[in-house]
Amino acid sequence: MTLALSGQIVEPGIAIGQAHNIQRNEIEIGEYRIADEQVDAEIDRLIHAAAEAGVHLEDLARRLKKSAGASGEEIIRTHLAMLEDSSLVQASARHIREQLCNAEWALQLQLETLVAEFRTIDDDYIRSREEDIVQVVRMVQQVLAAEQPGKPLSDVPDRLGHTLVVATELTPNELAVLHDRGVAGVVTEHGSPYSHTAILARSMGVPLVMGVRRAQSLITEGEQLVLDGAYGIVFADPEESILRHYLQKQSESDRYRKSLERGRGRPAASLDGEALVLLANAERPEDIRRALEDGAEGVGLFRSEYLFMQGLPPDEEAQVEHYVSAIEALEGAPLTIRTLDIGADKKAHALEFEGLRNNPNPALGLRAVRLCLREMDLFKVQLRAILRASAHGPVHCMIPMLTTDREVLAVRSLIEETRLELDSEGYDHGAERMRLGGMIEVPAAALALERMARHLDFLSVGTNDLIQYTLAADRVDENVAHLYDPQHPGVIHLLEHVFATARRLQVPVSVCGEMAGDRRFTRLLLALGLREFSMQPRSLLEVKKVITETDVGAVREALARWTAGECDSSTMTLSQFLDNAQLHH
Amino acid sequence: MPSATAVIPNELGLHARAAARLVERANGFESLVELSHRDRTVNGKSIMGVLMLAAAKGAELSIRTEGPDQDEALAGVLAIVKDGFGELE
Repeated sequence: MTLALSGQIVEPGIAIGQAHNIQRNEIEIGEYRIADEQVDAEIDRLIHAAAEAGVHLEDLARRLKKSAGASGEEIIRTHLAMLEDSSLVQASARHIREQLCNAEWALQLQLETLVAEFRTIDDDYIRSREEDIVQVVRMVQQVLAAEQPGKPLSDVPDRLGHTLVVATELTPNELAVLHDRGVAGVVTEHGSPYSHTAILARSMGVPLVMGVRRAQSLITEGEQLVLDGAYGIVFADPEESILRHYLQKQSESDRYRKSLERGRGRPAASLDGEALVLLANAERPEDIRRALEDGAEGVGLFRSEYLFMQGLPPDEEAQVEHYVSAIEALEGAPLTIRTLDIGADKKAHALEFEGLRNNPNPALGLRAVRLCLREMDLFKVQLRAILRASAHGPVHCMIPMLTTDREVLAVRSLIEETRLELDSEGYDHGAERMRLGGMIEVPAAALALERMARHLDFLSVGTNDLIQYTLAADRVDENVAHLYDPQHPGVIHLLEHVFATARRLQVPVSVCGEMAGDRRFTRLLLALGLREFSMQPRSLLEVKKVITETDVGAVREALARWTAGECDSSTMTLSQFLDNAQLHH
Repeated sequence: MPSATAVIPNELGLHARAAARLVERANGFESLVELSHRDRTVNGKSIMGVLMLAAAKGAELSIRTEGPDQDEALAGVLAIVKDGFGELE
């Protein structure tokens, strides 16, 4: 009979397999008195044990770097930092000296002191670090008890395929061992979603449900378990229908993941042979390598605000260095740098301007290029840095939130002025090759695109703002968020107009808003005529998959039928209609 | 003994990984490093202490150093805080 148990959601994913309860042989911490002359020897014992635990953690950090990436390794680095903290070993040594007690007990006393302090802190995340301290202290105590750290897992089989481990609680260390052995999923009685064990599970992709009360006594060894990580539910001995449901869900998601992987390295071409361009949105040079691996042909939006979110406005050299490291990461593929896009709604610590304060309507106020053209000194430094960086590789400069062509002309003349300055100062730059693009986010700019586009080398549609301005609805405001609809006929009409105008004028156009990376809208954008998509790197493979499964001609025809009112728009959305049209094509 | 203040810029604040990095940096100096946030002052070379500051994004952190390399220590710790502990978005 099915028994459904619920716990805390940690890592989505489905696991199906046999239950294996692991017993934690809790070590007993005894207290005994030592003689005065034993104090130094006892402190030595403590220091040696801590050093041995350190060696073990170093070793684990190295192994985790391979299996769980940098975030896994850093969790163990935190444990190492705790182990080396003077408030642990040195403070415990003081207890040995002052109280004449054994090392195990001294650690226990110090643990209690530290835990008590952590419990006074009004912050869930910090309070959960108590678990880390306990784990580190336990490890040293295990060494003192002449046990191998991690021994509780010694009775776990070497291969855990199709096994779900049920434990009272797990350390990150133990989870890593289970992961090495191929565990399908994990259920624990204790532990919080903020714990390092939880963070590690996420980075390794191990389905995990934590905080399932009395799991070990309710789940029988060897019985079948179904774990649904997305809902934090575990079914023990599930009935046939539940099992079938999850087996199917599991194989669907496996198939989907595999098909995404197959797309890696393949061109982004539609079924009817249209070649599409996929670009990445990035903020830091570190984001770029992964994006290239997943098939990005360049960066379509490099947000430059990152540098401005720190203490002081970055100087020219810091900006040049930042952009050049992005250019180098791209290995010859183009970098599109968006000039500073901040305002009253997107604050940067480094910047405070008259006109940003007390603005009752920040989204319509002084921001992006409006702010840059007012704070010329700040803007000039950025333009100098972009131009200097462009000597190192292909760079495009993109201006956010254009409203009129006068703004484009103002930026153009500023770039020209900057170029002359750099020339006279003897700096290298790539101004001759640098293309200047504009972001279409203001509805009026979209409607009167022709005037503006004549002065620009490329266009990029920022759909997030364009949609919010077109619908006069802020999606962050829960009272009106339901009005924020990328498929509103008004938005569709505007996008179609932008893509058609750009095509007519032969100005390249991309979309760099969230719509471009949302696979639900890929066919819609293809049907509307978009050929360049710039998105967060993790969406690249997903969007490419939809592209390779789309006949652009067919979805364009379907869009025409929809626009002509030949279908019932009350039962499905436009994007669903286009997906269906492709399915039946 | 030099001192300075900085605002914590990264999304997660002084969480475990950030604290580990700060402590590692502080331990590279001989001088005493003290950090304060609100009414708590802790040893900047102790991860437990640094965690207990529970300093979130936007929190103002005061740094004070004292010792033979106090100026370098202050600059070094200040830099890693402003750099968001290497994890700025």
